[in-house]
Amino acid sequence: MAQADLETMAPKKLKNKLPWTGIFTLLGPSGVWLLLLLVLPTLVIFQLSLVPNIHPGEVVNPSGLDNYFRILDGDNLRVVWRSLTFAFGTTIACLLMGFPVSYWLAQMAPKRWRNILLLGFILPLWTSSLLRSYAWITILSPTGVLNSVLGVTGLSLNILNTNIAVLIGMAYSYLPYMVLILYASLEKLDRQLLEASADLGAKPIDTFLRVTIPQTLPGISAGSLLVFISGLGDFVDPELLGGASSMTMSRLIYNQFLGLSRNWGFGSALSMTLIFAVSISIALLLKYGDRDVTT
Amino acid sequence: MALSSCGWTLADIKPQARRTSTDTLYIYTWAGYTDDDLLRQFEAETGIRAIADVFDSNEAMLARIQAQGGGDYSIIYPSDYMVQEMVDLELIRELDHSQIDGLDNLFETFADPGYDPGNGHSIPISWGTTGLIYNKSALKEAPEDWDYLWRNAKELRRRMTLLNDVREVLGASLKSLGYSYNTADESEVKKAYEKLVELRPAIASFNSDAWRTQILSGDLLVAMCYSSDANEITEEDDNFAYVVPSSGSSVWADTLVIPRTAPNIDGAYAWMSFMMRAKVSAAITQRLSFATPNRPGYELLPEDVRTNPNLFPSAETIDRCEGLKPLGEEVGAMYDRYWTRLTSG
Repeated sequence: MAQADLETMAPKKLKNKLPWTGIFTLLGPSGVWLLLLLVLPTLVIFQLSLVPNIHPGEVVNPSGLDNYFRILDGDNLRVVWRSLTFAFGTTIACLLMGFPVSYWLAQMAPKRWRNILLLGFILPLWTSSLLRSYAWITILSPTGVLNSVLGVTGLSLNILNTNIAVLIGMAYSYLPYMVLILYASLEKLDRQLLEASADLGAKPIDTFLRVTIPQTLPGISAGSLLVFISGLGDFVDPELLGGASSMTMSRLIYNQFLGLSRNWGFGSALSMTLIFAVSISIALLLKYGDRDVTT
Repeated sequence: MALSSCGWTLADIKPQARRTSTDTLYIYTWAGYTDDDLLRQFEAETGIRAIADVFDSNEAMLARIQAQGGGDYSIIYPSDYMVQEMVDLELIRELDHSQIDGLDNLFETFADPGYDPGNGHSIPISWGTTGLIYNKSALKEAPEDWDYLWRNAKELRRRMTLLNDVREVLGASLKSLGYSYNTADESEVKKAYEKLVELRPAIASFNSDAWRTQILSGDLLVAMCYSSDANEITEEDDNFAYVVPSSGSSVWADTLVIPRTAPNIDGAYAWMSFMMRAKVSAAITQRLSFATPNRPGYELLPEDVRTNPNLFPSAETIDRCEGLKPLGEEVGAMYDRYWTRLTSG
C-alpha cells in the first residue's frame, strides 16, 4: 500500500512544483497554434453556417439555422445517410478482416517476427492515399488486373465506379489502423484465462465469445470508432472509386465551396455537422475506448 | 443573435498595393494550355519568368480567386460565360487595347463576342466544342447524337463518363430535349434531370480528366469531353473518333483576362501580345491541340490541321451549338440542387 501511495503521489508533487511560467512555456506554443489555426477558424465556419446563401464578397450577417434545416431536405439527407453507411460498412469490413489477423499476430505468430509483420501492415500507410486509390482503379477497372485474372475462368466483373468499389478502397485504407489497435488489445489477452476456460470444458467458440471478446472489447470499440471517424470524412475514395451516385458529405462540401452555387453558408453548415458527428464519435472513443491504446 | 452586429465581408477583394514584381508572371490556366517551351520562349523574349498553375473548372477557379483575394495571378484563362460573371463581380480589369499588339488578328466572330462586347475585358485564345469521344472498334454503331447514350445504355453500362460539370451535363440533356443550355425554366431543368436519372446506371462517373487514360485503356467506350482534349487522342490513335452531337452542344471560348488584383500588369499585357502573335498561336495550336481564333495564326497551319473537323468544325455544326451564359445566383442554385439530386440518387 505504502509503495502504491508513493507512486501515485510522485507525479502530483512534480505537478505542484511547476510554476505558472513553466506551464505557459510548455503549453504556450501549441496553445497559440491551436487557437489560431483550429479554434478561431472553426468559430468562423460556425458563424458562416448561420448565414443562409452567403457567397464570397457578401456581408456576414448571421441570422439563424436555415442552413441546418436545409440538411434535413431529402437530397441532402440522402447524402448524409450514404456517408454514414460508407463509414459503417468500412468499420464492419475492417473489424471482420482485422480481428483474425490481429489475433494471429498477437497470440500465435512467432515473437521475433511480430514487429516485422506489423511493419508490413503499416507500410501501405507510408504511401499517398491518392496513390492507393489509383492502384484500386487499375485493379478493379473493366480491363484491369482483377478481370484479367477472372478472364481465365470466363467471368468478368465491372465493379469500378460502384459503392462496392468505394467500400473496398476505404476498407483497404483503414484496415491498418484497425489491426494496430486490435493487436495492442489482443496482446494483453490473458492466456491463463483461455486455458482455464478450456480446462473447465468450454468449447473454443464459447471461450472466444465469453472470454476473448469481453477482454478485448475496449480495443474493438477504439478501432471501430477510429475507422468510422476516418471513413466519415473520406474524400479521395468516394471521389475516385465511386460512380455517378456516390455523393458523400465531404464531396458535397467541396461542391458548395468550389462548385456552381458557391454557397459557403450551406457548405459551412455541412462542415459543422460533420465536425459535430466526429466530435461525438471521439467523445465515445475517449469514454469507452481502450485507455492504454487511445492515450 | 448576439453575433448579428459583426457583419464582416466574406472574402472581400481589394486591389493590392502595387508590388513591382515585374520579373515574374503568375498564370492561372487550364491543364494542357501551356508547356515548358511556351513559358521558356516567353522568358527568353521578354525576360519575364512565367509560372503557370492549373485549375480544372471555371467554378473552382472563381472560388479560389475569391477566397484568396485574387492571389498572385496576373493572367487568368476563364471561359466565355465566366468572363461575364467575373466582370459582374468586378474581379477583372478593363483592358487597355493600346497595350496589346495583334488584336486585329482575331477572326471577325471573335472581335465582338456576345459574352464580352468588343473584348473589353478579355481576349479569346482558344475555342472549341463539347461532344463525345468514342472507341470505334468497340462500338457497333457510331454515336451521332446525345440520344445514342440513352438508346445504348445497356451496352454502355458503366463504360461511359460525362464531364464533371453541372452546366455541360444538364445542358446536354436540355439540348437533347430541344431546350436551351441556358434555360432558367425549372420545369425544363427538371425534365433534363429526369432524363439523366434514366441514364445514370450507364454512367461510370462524372469526370473531366480521368476519362483520358480510361478510354485509352479500353475501360470506357464513350466519354463526354471538350474537342481540344479529344483531338489530342484522335490525332494519336485512329481507333478513336470525336463527334459533335447532331442536336447541338455547347461551343466555348477560353480567354485571357487580367484580375483587378494583378501584381504584374505590364507582364500580363506582354503575355497577351505574345499569345496574339501568329507564329506563337500556330505553334501552340499544333503542339497543344486547340483551335485558334487567330486568323494569321490559322493561315500558318498546315492543310491537314486547318481541315481537321474536330478542331475547326463547319459553320453548320457551330450554328447548332450554343454558348453558355451566366445563370445568376438563384437559377445557379436551382441547377446545383438538381445536380446534387442526380449525383446522390
